[in-house]
Amino acid sequence: MSLWIANGLSQDLPPGVVMAGAWQGADLAIWRSGTGRLAAWGDRCPHRGMRLSHGFVRGETLSCIYHGWTYGADGGCQKIPAHPAMVPPAAIKAETYQCVEEGGLIWVAPADTAVDLPDLTGLTPVRSVTLRADRAALTRALPEAVVDGDLWRLAALGVVLALQDRAEGLGLHALCRDPALEVQLSRWLDGLLRLAEQGEAA
Amino acid sequence: MIAQAVLNEWYPVAMAAMVGPWPGRATMLLGSDINVFLQDGAIMVRGPAGDLAVKVAYGHVWACPGTPAHDLFAVPEAAQPGRRLVDCGVVRVKCSPLRAVENFLDIAHFPFVHTDVLGAEPHTEVGRYEVQIREDSDEVWATKVHFYQPQAAKSAAGGIVTEYMYRVAASTAAVLYKTCPNNPDAWDVIGIFVQPLTEELCEVWPWMALFDDSTPQADLIQFQQMIFLQDRSILENQIPRLLPLDPGREIPTQADLTSIAYRRWLKRKGLTYGAQMVAA
Amino acid sequence: MKLYDYVLSASCYKVRLMAALMGVKLPTEAVDFHPGRAHRSAAFRAINPAGTLPVLVDGDLVLTESTAMLVYLAHGPWLGAGPKQTAQIQQWLAFSARLGASLGMARLHDMLLYPGDINALRRAGVEALRELESHLTEARFAGRIFLTGDTPTIADIACFPNVALAPDGGVSLDDYPSIRLWSRALRALPGFIEMPGIHRLHELKPAPEAVPPLESLP
Repeated sequence: MSLWIANGLSQDLPPGVVMAGAWQGADLAIWRSGTGRLAAWGDRCPHRGMRLSHGFVRGETLSCIYHGWTYGADGGCQKIPAHPAMVPPAAIKAETYQCVEEGGLIWVAPADTAVDLPDLTGLTPVRSVTLRADRAALTRALPEAVVDGDLWRLAALGVVLALQDRAEGLGLHALCRDPALEVQLSRWLDGLLRLAEQGEAA
Repeated sequence: MIAQAVLNEWYPVAMAAMVGPWPGRATMLLGSDINVFLQDGAIMVRGPAGDLAVKVAYGHVWACPGTPAHDLFAVPEAAQPGRRLVDCGVVRVKCSPLRAVENFLDIAHFPFVHTDVLGAEPHTEVGRYEVQIREDSDEVWATKVHFYQPQAAKSAAGGIVTEYMYRVAASTAAVLYKTCPNNPDAWDVIGIFVQPLTEELCEVWPWMALFDDSTPQADLIQFQQMIFLQDRSILENQIPRLLPLDPGREIPTQADLTSIAYRRWLKRKGLTYGAQMVAA
Repeated sequence: MKLYDYVLSASCYKVRLMAALMGVKLPTEAVDFHPGRAHRSAAFRAINPAGTLPVLVDGDLVLTESTAMLVYLAHGPWLGAGPKQTAQIQQWLAFSARLGASLGMARLHDMLLYPGDINALRRAGVEALRELESHLTEARFAGRIFLTGDTPTIADIACFPNVALAPDGGVSLDDYPSIRLWSRALRALPGFIEMPGIHRLHELKPAPEAVPPLESLP
């Protein structure tokens, strides 16, 4: 099974923004630089353990909100504001993951993982939601789904869901064949959450 | 099992003025349920194994679940004539009590967390300061701490380089002394008294002893609450929750001398409730 | 004009924020809400019998609901254009009360030890956030970022504080991408002011060119 896990939609992470992500239970900070470059790091500043997902992006760097320690593309610390003249030692480095965009989704895997992404040709990313229930509940709600690892295909609806285990539940990153149906798909997802979480009629 | 050294310390458990008759304030201390209540005019603290040693000082009730290893720390400024004593009220935080204290000792975060109040870019430099452990009281002290601040206190008119001293008075209590705008010969005193409910949950009681005759009480209280509440979302998002006492994944710099000394001091004294010993 | 205020109150902040965005200087009088509970005192109830904050006084006008204060302080596009948008704004003002009752009360429970069924409060909060997220997602499909129309209105200001402060009550905002972008758009508005728990977006200012040496400062 592929180690690449969907972490959100490209359109939900514009340049200059950082968000929280997850890879198999590890918390991540995923951010896009001013020039559009994506990076995914362990969500922990090496200084005092503050979540980097609470930080701020300036140009091609991500800074920690606590003391402003500033990290560049490779995860290395470039600046420590309390010591402006200091060149931070190379050991001060965020934990880096690989992060690529494909099919309008953001995918994350550990460093040095060979790229192995699903074919999403003909599909448009629409929306990410988080289901507060497990895969068993989702299976009961979507018995017609064809499950291919973390990719669930619903052929009759023209919908594909890329799954992601998150802190608060199961992330569902939804794509569909017909971009004109985005509003309908969004509302269908609202119904799916209710159905899978409570067994209510969608 | 909680170390005896931890049990033999004094911890804040209530604001004295707010204690009522049984059941009084039902809360927790070091993982055990306690009640802080008034009986025949005296404040009592009762836990599952019986009554705890009690002291009332600095506007707060202090309890010791074990046998007190020493007296409660002294803050002579509290008894000084002309001082305004301000109880700022409790705030609960989902963090280790030790993380709360360590944040209080830190100044490098001022421009980023207390922006335009205690600090602002580009004035981010933390100058060299001195840290020592005072033999007589066995307390960590940081002196000659200085930082440029746009609005250092409610009574300050504009930006100045503020001088500070920091003192770790107990494992979960720290005091800061800052240059007083109204009285250049004295220090304003701000304390943080941290009640450890569990290793990952604490209640923080800020307290102050100031020279300030003009600022309304609500303004003084809310200035401190504003500062502390700006720290709360930092404290709740540090990983690991427990304070690492071994060097490892956390990398300090020169600006962190007080925190380095605090962590070493906790480890030496065995005051490790809220800490982890092996780097995660 | 004067606002009886508490620095940590989400509802008081709605009013402070609206004034700042309108460029209106709003004098405040701090009321010792916590720990003093001064808002429940006889003296304060002479100003507002309900014993709540905020209270806005302007001459003989006394307002005790934060949404009414937003209406009073705002003008122009902030109040919407035409009956349809004005009605939509009313709908979101009503919705904002649910955010206070759920996310707001969860925050007071977790932070200031207010009583309450925290699990129920958080569940209701998540439900409200999901409704908000669904709406903002559809707005984004249509190329809009705010709650109604193309520019921010008092509806956005009424809803923003309790949403932005949700993590204070143990409700994470990580799962709501549209809310994230809406929140950032509001925090980038000219005149925006923060409150404790909603920190400055440092990315809006470039990194300083140079740090003045400490010795050179007064």
